[in-house]
Amino acid sequence: MAVEHREPGAELDRQFWIVTALIAIASLAWIAFALAWDITKVLPEAVRPADLIDALFRFLLAASGVVFIVVTTYVVYFSLRYRRRADDPPDAIGIQIHDHHALELWWTIIPTVLLVALGIFSVRIFSGIYLEQPTNGLTVEAIGHQWYFDFRYPGINGVITDEMHLPLGVPVTLHVTSQDVIHSFWIPADRIKADMVPGLINTLHFTPTHPGTYKIICTEFCGTLHSDMNKQIMVVQDDASFKKWYEGWKVKNAHASNALPGTGVSSASVNLAGGSAANGQKLFTSKCIACHGTGAFDAKVVGPGLKNVLHDPAHPQLLNGTPANEDDVAKLIKSGFTGAMGHMPSEAENSLSDKDIADLVAFLNTYK
Amino acid sequence: MAVAELHGGGIAEHVHPEPHGFIRKYIFSIDHKIIGLQYMITAFIFLVMGGMLAELIRVQLMSPHGTLVSNDTFDELYSVHGSTMVWLVIIPMLTGAFGNFVFPVQIGARDVAFPWLNMASFWMFPPAGLMLYGSFLMGAPTAGWTEYPPMSLQGAPGTSMWCAAIFLIGVSSTLTGINFLVTLLRMRAPGMTLTRMPLFCWAQLATAPLLMIATTALGAALAALFIERQFGVPFYDPTRGGSPLLWQHMFWFYSHPAVYIMILPAFGMISEIIPTFARKPIFGYRMIAFSSVAIALLGFMVWAHHMFTSGLSPALQLAFMLLTMTIAIPTGIKIFSWVATLWGGKIHFTTAMLFATGFIVTFTIGGLTGVYLAAVPFDLHAHGTYFIVAHLHYVLVGGSLMGIFAGMYFWFPKMTGRFMNETLGKWHFWLFMIGFNGTFIPMHWIGLLGQPRRVATYDPQFWSSNFAASLFSFIMTFAILLFFVNALWSIRRGKPAGHNPWGARTLEWQIPSPMPYYNFKKVPMVFASPYHFSDPLPYRGLEGELDPSVPAPVPAGHH
Ligand code: HEC
Ligand SMILES: [Cu+2]
Ligand SMILES: [Cu+2]
Repeated sequence: MAVEHREPGAELDRQFWIVTALIAIASLAWIAFALAWDITKVLPEAVRPADLIDALFRFLLAASGVVFIVVTTYVVYFSLRYRRRADDPPDAIGIQIHDHHALELWWTIIPTVLLVALGIFSVRIFSGIYLEQPTNGLTVEAIGHQWYFDFRYPGINGVITDEMHLPLGVPVTLHVTSQDVIHSFWIPADRIKADMVPGLINTLHFTPTHPGTYKIICTEFCGTLHSDMNKQIMVVQDDASFKKWYEGWKVKNAHASNALPGTGVSSASVNLAGGSAANGQKLFTSKCIACHGTGAFDAKVVGPGLKNVLHDPAHPQLLNGTPANEDDVAKLIKSGFTGAMGHMPSEAENSLSDKDIADLVAFLNTYK
Repeated sequence: MAVAELHGGGIAEHVHPEPHGFIRKYIFSIDHKIIGLQYMITAFIFLVMGGMLAELIRVQLMSPHGTLVSNDTFDELYSVHGSTMVWLVIIPMLTGAFGNFVFPVQIGARDVAFPWLNMASFWMFPPAGLMLYGSFLMGAPTAGWTEYPPMSLQGAPGTSMWCAAIFLIGVSSTLTGINFLVTLLRMRAPGMTLTRMPLFCWAQLATAPLLMIATTALGAALAALFIERQFGVPFYDPTRGGSPLLWQHMFWFYSHPAVYIMILPAFGMISEIIPTFARKPIFGYRMIAFSSVAIALLGFMVWAHHMFTSGLSPALQLAFMLLTMTIAIPTGIKIFSWVATLWGGKIHFTTAMLFATGFIVTFTIGGLTGVYLAAVPFDLHAHGTYFIVAHLHYVLVGGSLMGIFAGMYFWFPKMTGRFMNETLGKWHFWLFMIGFNGTFIPMHWIGLLGQPRRVATYDPQFWSSNFAASLFSFIMTFAILLFFVNALWSIRRGKPAGHNPWGARTLEWQIPSPMPYYNFKKVPMVFASPYHFSDPLPYRGLEGELDPSVPAPVPAGHH
């Protein structure tokens, strides 16, 4: 490293190289420590990308530690070595160098290379988190509320609060959304989070790799009890235990009557005689299609798919807990319903008449 | 006269008449230096207020189930703390205060381009601050300084007041940006080419467009939030067709550049202070100047790195990640250049220099954790946790505030003609370093291990680190108190400093302290960069500046 403008004293002397050698040794020691550090000792890893993200973290720790050691050591060393001494004349000046192109090139190139490596490393990890399309996976939905999370599973009608159970080794597609304000769904042991934004569904992919019980924490301020939104858990368990848990909930929900959270159940019945399915279909396309598809229950838009609302043995009850028969569907459309998935507008809000409801029910009844 | 002829008597030649009377001189002043000091005093008052809020926060967090305040009050505390520090302290301090006070003189101008506009900008600032604090009376905002809807739609009535206050300070910022940009481009003394400008001026030149352009996005976002809250027009409420992400995009389109508004001028100050005390030219002048501009430009293209968990498409995440990482390169160039400037110097460790040197280290930490957060997968873990709190305080306290302190010790003699006390200053520095690092280092790991930000109570496993952070924060507050004592005492009793106590070479140091209302009797002529310590000063026409027998310039053709 020769200096271009040969000012007196502008050579790098032995002492400088000794300090530089010490920096190199300290840096190597740090890299060795950072790369070998077993993070799971302080924070467990529960799923697949967690180990990759930890590897990325170790890389960041190693590289940034070296930058920090280099900068700090030189700052301290230069400060001590080049400080003004008592016997220096008051007008003493330093070595008048203005720049050094080779040096400047190096401290542009080296960080660039490190950043490119970091970029490539990062893309490989996060493309998996967002884009993976497992065929044999499990889909779970988490819904944020002030101030708790709900979970929905395919095949289980209604919602599960408190716990999210996942079978070991099965790829999970997690959809998250919110009912009110923005929450953020973080499982520290997964090393990933996604914001729960009302009106949006965000998706994460991961695969549980370590059985255990892990905390779920909300990391987006969501009101008075945001600080308490850390009491729920994710349980990773073997397939048999998971199946048991899952079937248990299926039965429980199927038998639950009015136990599910929700409002707006009314008893005013609607006269369904003479409903026209053709007219109902027209109405459906204009009034309902924004929130409901005509696919199966799980094919959710805003509300569930309505194809089998009346004739699906796996769907014995409506979301408000009443039996899935024509009368109760009509009542639900009339009164509206606000449950875990959101708000289903009432007859008035949808500007329907009782006759329209009869038509709509006749239409829904055509799906057998 | 020779200079004026050479120069053709452009706008830089315009001299204001001497202000008479207390009101015209100190209250409704149009003098950039007085306005600078007004900004400074006001911002320091808000620093005290914001600091008190911070200490209330730290006291609450000394126990996992703190009972000092209720959850809702706690939310008000940190929301107003953050808003104060960003909008009422750091931004006005670095642009309104130091910008106004220093750079017009450094380019050899007699004032900024639009002095009346400058006064108007300042006078929007105290009312904005009063409105923000007034919001406590009606229930202050609770959703943090970022006020994400729909949460902020549920906020107390004071949230609308917050919108109005920040809108006002935003207008003030925009006007200041326009004013500074025009001044820097049109009012430089003859011979003061762009590449001879001191680096603080370059920093302001890079900052001004950010103030001017980015702040308008904030204004629009705030107006929409206000209208939605007050009149129910749904911009952000998703149940009525609004979009919560709209706010996030607009907010960060401003607030990321705002990060650079809050750091570039501090970079500029450090770039003045280090060469002055190392008695060496700044290493790599062109690269430092260029990197300020590069950072400002890139700063417009990275805002969505605050939204990696919000549900952006992976393609956008990729783009924003790569652009964000790019910023590390010019930032690294600056840091390495400052270190290289120390090499081979004759470093005089005044308090100003201690702060500037400390800045290199603490800012580096904040800059490095910024690179961590740029990496999407890491951000998916760290976002919304105390790691972010640690990162942003390393940048804004370890960076901006350390820069402000360095600048205070450095330019205080220019403001008052007196030194600040060096012994107290050194106590301030060392206690501040201990207190600051002790407060914010633990936040890195408590964040990564599971403590979210904006919580009034937390998991007891994090008690010891939180407790330590609180204790160290008291040391930090005490250090800042020493600073205030020192400054207030030194205004009257400080050792007289003369016009150029540090042997600095930029133009403001070649005229008397405090600086006269006209700045220069004759606008000087500049013929080289200021940083060549072995050469004579590169200015002509300054001979009479310190000579009391040379009369003040006459305001020509003034109403
Ligand atoms: C604004 C969106 C929206 C519109 C428009 C809407 N719905 Fe719904 N609907 C919902 C939501 C959300 C639910 C689920 C409520 C819950 O459980 O949280 C729902 C639930 C239902 C259910 C109960 C489904 C079940 O499996 O229990 C029926 C039936 C239904 N809607 C019919 C209709 C019909 C018919 C229309 C058109 C007139 C309609 N909805 C229009 C949102 C909507
Ligand atoms: Cu929350
Ligand atoms: Cu940013």
